[in-house]
Amino acid sequence: MAKYKTKGLDCWGKAKELRMKYYKDYAEAHDRGALRWEGGAWTFDAIPQALEGEVHVLTEEPYGASCGANPEVQVRYQEAAEGKWGCARDLCAYLRSYWGSIVLDEFIFGGKWPKADFIFQNHICCSHAKWLQVAAELEGGKVPYFCFDVGVGAYDKIGERQINYVVGQLHDGIEFLEKATGRKLDDEKLIRNVYNTYRSACYWAKTCELNKAIPAPLDEKTMFSLYVLGTLEKSNEAMADFYEKELYPEVKDRVANQIAAVANEQCRMLGDSQPPWGFLRVFRYLEKYGVVSVASLYTFSLIGWWKVNENGNLVPYPTLEEQGITIKDRDHALRLLTEGELKGKLMWAPFYGATYKNDIVTKMAKQWKCDAAIIHLNRGCEGTAQHQMEMKIALANMGMPILTFEGNMADEREFDETRTHRLIDLFVSETLGLKKVAD
Amino acid sequence: MIVAGIDVGGKNIHTVIMKNGDILAKAEAPSGIKKGEAAEQLYNETLKQAKLKREDVARVVATGSAAQRVAFADGVIPDATADARGVIRLVPSARTIIDVGGEEGRAIKISPEGKVMDFAINEKCAAGTGTFVDTMARALEMPVEEMAKLSLQSTRSIPMNAQCAVFGESEVVGLIHQKTSKQDISRAVHDAIAGRIASVARIVGLEDDIVMIGGVAKNVGFVESLKRDIGADVVVPNDPDFIGAFGAAAAAAAGVVEEKVEAKVVEKETIEEGK
Amino acid sequence: MEATEILKQFNDVWELRHEYAKDWKRRTGEKVVLYFCTYAPEEILYAANILPIRVLGGHEAPSLATPHVFDMWCPFCRDCLSQGLKGKYNDYLDGIMIAQSCLHLRQAFGAWEIHVPTPWKYYLCMPNAVRSPRAKPFLAGELAEFKKALEEWTGKTITDQDLDRGIDIMNTNRRLMKQVYEFRKEDNPPITGTEAMTMVWASQLMDKREHNELLKQLLEELPNRKLDRDPGVRLMIIGSENDDRPFMEMVESIGGTFVIDDHCTGSRYFWDEVIPNKDRLQAIADRYCDRVPCPNKDWGTEDCSRTRFPHILQLARDYQVQGAILTQQKFCDPHELDIPSLRRYLEDDGIPCYFLEFEVTVPVGQFRIRVEAFIEQILAEELFV
Repeated sequence: MAKYKTKGLDCWGKAKELRMKYYKDYAEAHDRGALRWEGGAWTFDAIPQALEGEVHVLTEEPYGASCGANPEVQVRYQEAAEGKWGCARDLCAYLRSYWGSIVLDEFIFGGKWPKADFIFQNHICCSHAKWLQVAAELEGGKVPYFCFDVGVGAYDKIGERQINYVVGQLHDGIEFLEKATGRKLDDEKLIRNVYNTYRSACYWAKTCELNKAIPAPLDEKTMFSLYVLGTLEKSNEAMADFYEKELYPEVKDRVANQIAAVANEQCRMLGDSQPPWGFLRVFRYLEKYGVVSVASLYTFSLIGWWKVNENGNLVPYPTLEEQGITIKDRDHALRLLTEGELKGKLMWAPFYGATYKNDIVTKMAKQWKCDAAIIHLNRGCEGTAQHQMEMKIALANMGMPILTFEGNMADEREFDETRTHRLIDLFVSETLGLKKVAD
Repeated sequence: MIVAGIDVGGKNIHTVIMKNGDILAKAEAPSGIKKGEAAEQLYNETLKQAKLKREDVARVVATGSAAQRVAFADGVIPDATADARGVIRLVPSARTIIDVGGEEGRAIKISPEGKVMDFAINEKCAAGTGTFVDTMARALEMPVEEMAKLSLQSTRSIPMNAQCAVFGESEVVGLIHQKTSKQDISRAVHDAIAGRIASVARIVGLEDDIVMIGGVAKNVGFVESLKRDIGADVVVPNDPDFIGAFGAAAAAAAGVVEEKVEAKVVEKETIEEGK
Repeated sequence: MEATEILKQFNDVWELRHEYAKDWKRRTGEKVVLYFCTYAPEEILYAANILPIRVLGGHEAPSLATPHVFDMWCPFCRDCLSQGLKGKYNDYLDGIMIAQSCLHLRQAFGAWEIHVPTPWKYYLCMPNAVRSPRAKPFLAGELAEFKKALEEWTGKTITDQDLDRGIDIMNTNRRLMKQVYEFRKEDNPPITGTEAMTMVWASQLMDKREHNELLKQLLEELPNRKLDRDPGVRLMIIGSENDDRPFMEMVESIGGTFVIDDHCTGSRYFWDEVIPNKDRLQAIADRYCDRVPCPNKDWGTEDCSRTRFPHILQLARDYQVQGAILTQQKFCDPHELDIPSLRRYLEDDGIPCYFLEFEVTVPVGQFRIRVEAFIEQILAEELFV
């Protein structure tokens, strides 16, 4: 007899639909005279998307993840990047799939590689700026390329000077966009996009906050398919509406009615980093033991914005509406966008030190009532894998049992499923002392 | 009650038949490719050694990386659990176990009751295994035992790559060409492996008493290098490579086993499913 | 002092770096700060009468680092952390600082901050968009904060005169090393690549005022120095951090000479000077934004061009390079991202390239075979030109 009620998400179909439309629009953009551009999931898409006319974006990491979810294709693309282009095998797994797609002139969603009209990127890890720099090279070297820097310090160090530096670059970026495309930036569109960005980011965080409930209404595996929309185009009205008006209310309702993600929840897990995309069944394996992954800095903060309140707790960042702010003009829009990204996106914080990551994950473990942690030591992404061993030490000091396993988010050649199962079996049965509760 | 434990590793199989805590017979053999068959054959030999028949044994528990292949086992336990159960019976003061076999090196932190609290395993690009030792011994054209004893005669420390076995072997060849003495090269090899294993052990934290088991624990050169690296003493029980099988037998005696799960191909899921 | 003796002193500093730093402290009574990454503004540290020394590895397996930074990260960075965890700096180090660049070194710094007892620590947000006009004023602001933090720590104000002194010390050092490098343009350079690299390593590990004095003496000696060796094939070494002496010596014993380099333990460290300006901090900021970039800062705001590649090619031409050895520390992303493009760029200009991956120790024997073959290939190609 299951411990809790459970059911699928009603808005699941809508999420799938939005995602597929996004990729279709990108592929068909030129057929309609629309612009298309390449950037990162962390790029401030509100800006290029404010160009007049129809504009579509391809964000690199979700594309890489889509390749990773299809191991046969992923290997072929990556071997093309390694063999034909000549890059090292330990580079970011997403990046290698992306480059390989271009080298083979294939788009994983069908057809040939859709070349971009321009590139608008920001620099986060060692790879991001270079990723699309090389992509531009592979696409013939003529694609206009703009990259801006956001490495100005963690969320508690953001002041006027830091915001001015980034906003200054964004103004330069707009000049670049207008020159590269021959189109003007529509300030009203920009303003709407910034409101939408806040809605996407803040309502995703509010949704994640609901996972504090016991039983958790969502499990991390499901959340991967939901946050992804924010990695595609946070500034998109339909995406923002999905987060605010469909997902968040539905999950709130699940909490009110004690509808669980996993019917036999008996152990709440803290995760970290991307999962091995081709092997998400690992989560289903864990669920046989009633283990559900309920929280993760990665899943919460890749698109979600948070702040640490006066009590030292992680709480969702407030939307512009909640702050009572009306955007006045272009500069104001850019400032607010920058402020939200730099202060709210806690995923930037580990880039500035292990103490930041440790602080956030230990707070998260307490607030989301996690019993244990499973850390995927992700060889495929240095950005999210930073300080994972320090995180382990910090959580162990809290008395939390932790399993680490090495793998790769999007390179199946680097993930040993059998071995991982062995480790999970040992951890779950011996260290956690759990018995199977489901088949 | 008579019970049996079988440890099927990547390189070797060990069996132990036990009655009321006393070992009646034990045996080892290479695993080969057909591990299930090899395990059965070895088990039969062990039974013969103990002058027993299959029906005399109340319960058989398998462990090791290929435990699931032991068709006749009544259950399986994870290898780290077997190690913990085996070690705690022999060394009740044990708190850290270092197990280095042919294909894997691992460190296990155990509670006073012998429960696995934390563990770490050598991951990719780690040369801290028995296979690495064998490869280096071949490069030096001597048996592993001789290389081990020779390393104790060296007083020189030569840093060597131990992240990659291929690089490591190249370096040994380089040292040979530089006319470095075999003692010094032997010690460099053992220091390199010990460094790898020590780094894995430090992930779980080193707490006395530290017990070393697995086939490589019989390597006196390695044990000495490890003690030097961690700056602490290690306990090496008799027959350290049988401890896993002993632990599995102990689990059989205690009646604590996981049901054996048939190996099957799990249906492929896509990112869109989310169910 | 003869050139050989001076070069030996450089080597001694590199080998006995901790002893040097402890002795310096005893002599001067001042503080020592360890910097991670060559974007650190040493000018300001000198202005504060602090000795800046660069963190380098010990070429030992970094087993102490594994519980803090797992094995897929740059072995050099893990080795650096391991040196700290081993307590090699405990006796004398007063502070650490990093000017942010690659994630690998940031991880080493992050773990060091927590586990290696160091009284003072500082994280400088060195801009990544060095080609953006916004970067220079931002960096000047960062440097102002850094200066303030140093003043609070030392209890002494850093004046413009102090900054001028710091800039002069650094600029003089850069200029003198560049002058030494000029000699490597000769047909039979009076200084080998190994010796030149050792000179740069020493610069990063000792008081540059003392280093400058030795450089001046060396510059007097070099015109008359004749090396009893055949320079062989003129090579360039390009890549991430390299202080692998056995490798350098090996190559230069089998028919090659490294006549020039581009890496951060070589020319990339010192190639560009601070151009004096009334606003000293802005002048320093300008230098660090304009210097030959680390690959992870080598990207732009208009197109996919890099500034480092034309610089490398110019160096190759100026030094009449016949072949380039591209090296990277295993797992080093910044260089891995550039190498396929760099290789094509150089080979399109007729400069053959050979790639090698480095670790804390390298299989010199195996590398010897490969480099010998590369040298033979270069000679064979030139035979048929």
